[in-house]
Amino acid sequence: MPMKGRFPIRRTLEYLRKGDIVFKNRVKIMTVNYNTHGELSEGARKFVFFNIPQIQYKNQWVQVMMFKNMTPSPFLKFYLDDGEQVLVDVEGKDHKHISDHVRKILGKTEEVLQSEAQAKMQESNPANFGPKKYCLRECICEVDGQVPCPGTTALPKEMTGKYRTKMAAAQE
Amino acid sequence: MLVKHASVHAKWIIGRVIGTKMYKTAKVRVTRLVLDPYLLKYYNKRKTYFAHDALRQCTEGDIVLLKALPEARSKHVKHELAEIVYKVGRVVDPLTGMSVEGTQFVELPTDLPLILGEDQTLSEKLQELNISTAPSEADSPPAQNPTS
Repeated sequence: MPMKGRFPIRRTLEYLRKGDIVFKNRVKIMTVNYNTHGELSEGARKFVFFNIPQIQYKNQWVQVMMFKNMTPSPFLKFYLDDGEQVLVDVEGKDHKHISDHVRKILGKTEEVLQSEAQAKMQESNPANFGPKKYCLRECICEVDGQVPCPGTTALPKEMTGKYRTKMAAAQE
Repeated sequence: MLVKHASVHAKWIIGRVIGTKMYKTAKVRVTRLVLDPYLLKYYNKRKTYFAHDALRQCTEGDIVLLKALPEARSKHVKHELAEIVYKVGRVVDPLTGMSVEGTQFVELPTDLPLILGEDQTLSEKLQELNISTAPSEADSPPAQNPTS
């Protein structure tokens, strides 16, 4: 049974994850003005149809708004954190061209994305111990072959602190 | 150490004004795209915000940009009007700067040809026209150019 709709591949998680535009942290709002008819808006319409779901999936906290038939020429407008606005004219351009241009001006570069992925991997570094939220294991007692947790099983007498202090006091 | 945070998570938002009946406050509807978990399609989800509009510039139907206030002004008002992006009925195309109606450019109506007599000044001519001011003093005068 095939999927419903015109290009149902747009509605798959794999397609959404394939999107490569990740906006810089400064970008807060993205606005697309385009027209429903006319050759010049064709690229913008395809951009909205194919690329907007990918962009919104990768940038959950950016507000994306679409406006139809408000102006004769299609354009994109980005609102950055410090009040700056970026206007991108997309009249007559192809949707691939538009997304490449947007990625070039406001997207995070490959190296930045890779370093972020690296930093994320360090969080799941097995060498670190700590709270469950940040590390894989909390204490070395969880590892097989290490001394078990004194909370569950009693330590051998020689390893307890009170025996050791008693021995040290008896020696003096 | 107390770090000054804005009172809300969303610092800048864009929305459409749906009500201006409150005192110096605009009711703004903001739509965000939310992914439906089963259909995997994005739909608009709306939320209303109240924004402080000191100069009462907004009319219903404007598209406005709101900025979060450092502290909440009242229980509901946590944003203020930063700018009116598209004024309803007077949309200005940002690429060309001309006013626009739908997908067509619009010629703004030029004023009537002004014929001043020799002794008449402009103020006397205006007094002749006998224009009375609008009842609510908060409305901006119609001769003023629309600010984008």
